[in-house]
Amino acid sequence: MLKLLPRSGLWRWVVGVFVIALVIVAAYFIFTSRTEAQSTQQPIAFNHQVMVGMGIGCLYCHSDARRSPTAGMPSVQLCMGCHKVIDPQNPEIVKLAAYWQKGEPIPWQRVNVLPRFVYFSHEVHVSVAGINCEKCHGDVAHMTVDKPVVQMNMGWCLGCHEKQPNAAQLTDCVVCHQ
Amino acid sequence: MARKLTRRDFLRIGVVGASATVLAGCKFPRRWEVLEPYVTPPEEQLSGQPTWYASTCRQCPAGCGIIVRVMNGRALKLEGNPEHPLNKGKLCARGQAGLQVLYNPDRLEGPVRQSKRGSRDFQRVTWEAGLNTLAEKLGAAGGSVAVWLGSTTSGHLYDLFQRFLSAVGAPAPLVFDLYTAFHGYTVLQQVDQQLFSQAQLPSYDLGNADVVFSFGADLFGTWLSSVRYGYEFGQFRSQELGKRGLLVALEPRTSLTAAKADKWVPLKPGTEALVAGAIASLIASRGFGPAERVDRAKALAGSVDVNAVAAAADVPADELVRLAQIFVQAERPVAIPGSQLTGQPNAAEASAAVQVLNLIAGNFGQPGGVSFTQAPPAANLVKPPVATVSDVNDLISRMAAGQIQVLIVHGANPAYELPQKDAFMAALGKVPFVVSFAPIVDETAAFADLILPDRTYLESWGYEVVSPAFGTPIVGSQQPVVMPVYDLRAAGDVLLTVAKAIPAAAAALHWNDEVEFLKEMIAQLPAGAAGGSGSSVLWSRFLQHGGWWPAQVPSQPAQPAANLPAISAPAPQYQGEESQYPFFLHPYMSMFLSDGRGANQPWLQGAPDTNTSISWQTWVEINPTTAQKLGLKKGDIVRITSPFGSMEAGVYVYPGIRPDTVAIPLGQGHTDYGRYARNRGANVLRLLNPQQGAEGHLDWSTVRVKVEPTGRRMAMATFEWTEGVMEGFPNKSIPGY
Repeated sequence: MLKLLPRSGLWRWVVGVFVIALVIVAAYFIFTSRTEAQSTQQPIAFNHQVMVGMGIGCLYCHSDARRSPTAGMPSVQLCMGCHKVIDPQNPEIVKLAAYWQKGEPIPWQRVNVLPRFVYFSHEVHVSVAGINCEKCHGDVAHMTVDKPVVQMNMGWCLGCHEKQPNAAQLTDCVVCHQ
Repeated sequence: MARKLTRRDFLRIGVVGASATVLAGCKFPRRWEVLEPYVTPPEEQLSGQPTWYASTCRQCPAGCGIIVRVMNGRALKLEGNPEHPLNKGKLCARGQAGLQVLYNPDRLEGPVRQSKRGSRDFQRVTWEAGLNTLAEKLGAAGGSVAVWLGSTTSGHLYDLFQRFLSAVGAPAPLVFDLYTAFHGYTVLQQVDQQLFSQAQLPSYDLGNADVVFSFGADLFGTWLSSVRYGYEFGQFRSQELGKRGLLVALEPRTSLTAAKADKWVPLKPGTEALVAGAIASLIASRGFGPAERVDRAKALAGSVDVNAVAAAADVPADELVRLAQIFVQAERPVAIPGSQLTGQPNAAEASAAVQVLNLIAGNFGQPGGVSFTQAPPAANLVKPPVATVSDVNDLISRMAAGQIQVLIVHGANPAYELPQKDAFMAALGKVPFVVSFAPIVDETAAFADLILPDRTYLESWGYEVVSPAFGTPIVGSQQPVVMPVYDLRAAGDVLLTVAKAIPAAAAALHWNDEVEFLKEMIAQLPAGAAGGSGSSVLWSRFLQHGGWWPAQVPSQPAQPAANLPAISAPAPQYQGEESQYPFFLHPYMSMFLSDGRGANQPWLQGAPDTNTSISWQTWVEINPTTAQKLGLKKGDIVRITSPFGSMEAGVYVYPGIRPDTVAIPLGQGHTDYGRYARNRGANVLRLLNPQQGAEGHLDWSTVRVKVEPTGRRMAMATFEWTEGVMEGFPNKSIPGY
């Protein structure tokens, strides 16, 4: 064994305490952080595939994407507008109806996360650039459980911005980091 | 026997720990967010897009226009309304902090009552029970009802209460709080009536003046309309051809205004009027300036012994001569009588002595001068008239005599802000039923039998006739920008509901709710700057633009009455003997806590004071030479004693104050009013004369005090070090500054 440390008792305790602290910190991260799989566990097993199969477009529910920075989540009222009569016996729809009865919002787990220091506007991408939702969100139409498809990092954003005719403008830092 | 921990064991544990960390890293921890959609969305709401609503600030009586950024039904930010002719998009710290009035954690969530006054053992009652109790008590009381309102109570509430009181045969509501009393609103109105035949608050056109003499007016702190004066100061400092104006502050302490001034004249408290009189008399006798000004000075100035004034005011005689020269030779000079004058026992004469300088300058209604604003063209839109201290004492004596059965308090806190608090509390004990509309239990509400908490100003309706309005008649609009945080009824609706059950008042208050009443009142206004026609369009524009004001600024009211008698400046009158009380007390309104109403907002408590950088505390400003003489340094706790009471606070050694004066800010020393205000600092009002009212106003600026060390110390929450400021003072070597 290499003599890295003096054999005095004090040093042993210092290292011991450090190691124990390390374990505690590691345990904290393990038990409090949510993995991708956990974070996409939704309160209602919502199935995008069924909705799109019925011919409902993305913007029917996420209608703010056209005119606001955020796409928005449909109100409980909007869901109930159809599900009062469509498939009300389905156990997942029963959960939805329970939220509506109690007048409570549905605590959806966010699937696509951007860092706070990134300014992103759906409006510009959807209404001005005319980009399809699938380009960033993947083929949600064929997903039973919505998952993030692309790692939305800076390289990925720039990959597209660089190919645009006004690339010089679109690759300026302040476009996203306002 | 415990097993001995070997080095091998350590390494084992280390390896396990390290692998756990690596494993945790492999699992890609993600930020965890919940998206909660609306259950039922409001129609105009777009997710991620704020909505801005215009309204009126209620943190002081000035009536600035605000716009509120609302996101998903929550108010997030207050800003000045850029369209509003009063504050032109500006807003002060108190205005910004209004969000903490709305989202204050100490707000009452519903009506409460207490069986024993002052027990603070509040029992929640339903609105139905609360309203029934109030209706029952008011029905039984008949005409022996009194209503006490504050200066920030909306005009429509004053109007409704007045209609109610006159229907049941009681005197009009009493509007009185410390803000208006401290700044002497009633005195200013009285003086303006006497000199200019205008019983309203004056506006001073700082922006176009080239010389401004401020006699104890804290223009940029809290005085009358400080946001507007801040804007005007910007204009004043950037005039045509690089002119930047000359501001002279004549006051015993460097306030924020004196700190921004070109010259600070630290005269002795109480001698402001003498100095103004000396300036007028010097203009008359020496004839420095234009002939018509000298002629007017000859007619208006009394005979003054300039050397005697110089000695009394502690201002050199040649300095007075220079001031007189500067004033009379300026193109557009203006003199402003501030609260230091209106707080003197002989306030009206003292303020008039300063206003005379404006008469001499002939600046009435001129650019850069004193002006008054025409009332909005609707007789029923009221600026609630502020009551005098005599009115207050009258009500207190009626309460004490058992003539008041029900006392209703809204927007005022007399148990905290009256120097004659003890008399008030004794009289309150004789009132069988006390109702408060306070959203947070304050000192007065703690002695109420029933509290029907009103909605805060960002949740409620109203209007504000702005005064002083700087030339443009303004009716500011107030509308709810968010849904009420709790299930609270608006005070106007409470009154209209209760009045239905009282036969005498039912016909006078026939409206179904306060919005119906407000619409009817506002419909009297013609189309304003926002344009439109038809009552519903005008109402919408009134709310959308933050109020009503005319497209064209109307002409000023008529010229002042000519042939005024000569006005002689009164001699100072001090309260307390110099031998026993060697110092002058200079209470001043804190820029953040103002008259104490800001003390429940942690942003305002935490904001460092502009001159001392102290927060969350009460302090006593003492000149370095005085501090050295008394052996005091920063953080020493002293007892300040006046002929009327005493208080304790920590010393702040402040070079910007006269050696014979100590200054203490208002606003702390609450015993109730929520967690941020309670039991913090001391209330300087306890040093003032409780026998207020012989002159009809609050006299606070000429009290003498003594300063005694207690031997104890406290840590001062200061932000800045005054080391550099102390250069040139004899005791700069004393540690602890």
